Amino acid sequence: MPFDVIAAVTDQRELGPDTWLLALDAPQIAAAARAGEFVMLGLPEIDRMLIRRPFSIARVGPAEAGAPRTIEIVYKVFGSRTAMFSTLRPGAKMSVLGPLGRGFWLPEPDGPRELLLVAGGIGIAIFPLLVQQLGARAGEASLLYGARTAAELVLRDWFAERGVAVELATDDGSAGHHGMVTDLLEARLARPARGRRLVMACGPTPMLRAVGDLAMAREVPCQLALEETMACGFGVCLGCVVPRRNPEGEFDRFVRVCTEGPVFDAREVAP
Amino acid sequence: MSGGVRTEVDVGRGLVLRNPILTASGTFGYGLEYEPFVDLTALGGIVVKGISPAPRAGNPPPRIVETPSGMLNAIGLQNVGVERFVREKLPALRERGAVVIVNVFGSSEADYVAVVEALEREQGIAAYELNLSCPNVDKGGLAFGRDPDAMRALTRAVRERTGRPLWVKLTPNVTDIAEMARAARDGGADAVSLVNTYVGMVIDVERRRPVLARRTGGLSGPAIRPLAVAAVDQVHRAIDLPIIGIGGITCARDVVEFMLAGARAVQVGTANYNDPAIAQKLVDELVSWCRAHGVGDVNELVGALEE
Repeated sequence: MPFDVIAAVTDQRELGPDTWLLALDAPQIAAAARAGEFVMLGLPEIDRMLIRRPFSIARVGPAEAGAPRTIEIVYKVFGSRTAMFSTLRPGAKMSVLGPLGRGFWLPEPDGPRELLLVAGGIGIAIFPLLVQQLGARAGEASLLYGARTAAELVLRDWFAERGVAVELATDDGSAGHHGMVTDLLEARLARPARGRRLVMACGPTPMLRAVGDLAMAREVPCQLALEETMACGFGVCLGCVVPRRNPEGEFDRFVRVCTEGPVFDAREVAP
Repeated sequence: MSGGVRTEVDVGRGLVLRNPILTASGTFGYGLEYEPFVDLTALGGIVVKGISPAPRAGNPPPRIVETPSGMLNAIGLQNVGVERFVREKLPALRERGAVVIVNVFGSSEADYVAVVEALEREQGIAAYELNLSCPNVDKGGLAFGRDPDAMRALTRAVRERTGRPLWVKLTPNVTDIAEMARAARDGGADAVSLVNTYVGMVIDVERRRPVLARRTGGLSGPAIRPLAVAAVDQVHRAIDLPIIGIGGITCARDVVEFMLAGARAVQVGTANYNDPAIAQKLVDELVSWCRAHGVGDVNELVGALEE
């Protein structure tokens, strides 16, 4: 059950070019959040912002002391709303609805696993909470992380510090592999698995399509986190639909990213 | 009564709502999705998503885009169809005691009649609202809403098959909305609800393409409120039939504005997305507004403009 709260900003930091981390004091949402779920973020005054925007819950914190109080959002300034968000400073109030959606699902750990997290650009924002919730098993995860330039590869050290094997790719070659993150995935999938493989991906639509195709070609289970424009976040506006396909690969019906997703089995959706 | 203010409103054919705050079709799902946020029985009524004879997949995405103080949508009446509505949604709504108004949609007169005939066998429906105004489908909807003869005939065809209150939801995308309201009245409507969305278009100038896959959509939200208030005023001055006002309502002041223009009740639409509890909050806010302004009965506001 989601909570609709007015929450105070507790932190706002620039992580990289046009990329920010925003923390909000929202203990109910922080306690309930599962990896892959999201919140709708807006301002308390409807006159100032009519339609809230969806953001992945990047992280909850502080992790050290008891139950988490805050949720963190990692976002890119893209339009006028996100530009306005980046001007908010600690103490400012926002309206927050969440946690929403169906997040990642993890198989029972009945043996060694090889979790391949594939992030493109700001798609990284969905993965820290997953690593937090993996806890001691974070070492089972590899992060394959691509962006245009090295400066955009935000939070990469945070993952490495938690035992996640990080492989990088950049369009300009300024860090890691000079090329696409899907090249890293292709190479990894060609090597013998260290355990039961599972791919989880978030990023631009062409990347998701390529990741889904690579994983399915090798019959590796794959979960894709989608992003679509939405007005409500809880299943009623029907704005965020994507076509769902049946086992034969044909159009079946439209499914809502906000409630049937945002995380889908790659076999179900054709991003 | 609520807080010393009489809130009941008579919207025709003996249907008395406990208060004038309803939710607009298409923005409130089948009502049940809002249960985490709203006591459905606290509202004057809920108007469910448009129901057609068969399920509809709706339009391809992108379907929505925010606009200045508003939103453009082209959902295309995606719905579960009347059979599943009756089987899966209506029993739950009935059990909760919500006042349910079913928005009815079809591509032909026969479709509208078929939906109403299927619903006539069911208990727990307070009224029908004929959607003769959706701008986002190829057939039906707006085609009937722009032709007074077609509207009169379709309303009459449904009227002959039900004794339940019958509302017609009007489009503002016409030259003279009062003429359409007269046609609905002459066909036997008990009330008219207005306005549905205004046809609009947003272009992505970088890609030189319409943002919505359907090219155009329906504009809703505070951006259209003055237009909707004018439409209500125009219809109120033209005919003597209960009016349900719709268009960008976000606060009690907006509700009062529509009522002063002649609406006996209102529907809250796009604002439900921003605040899923807003309809219930508006009931309380309206009572507070009335108390603060010495209004003992909300009906005192209806059409009470100083001339």
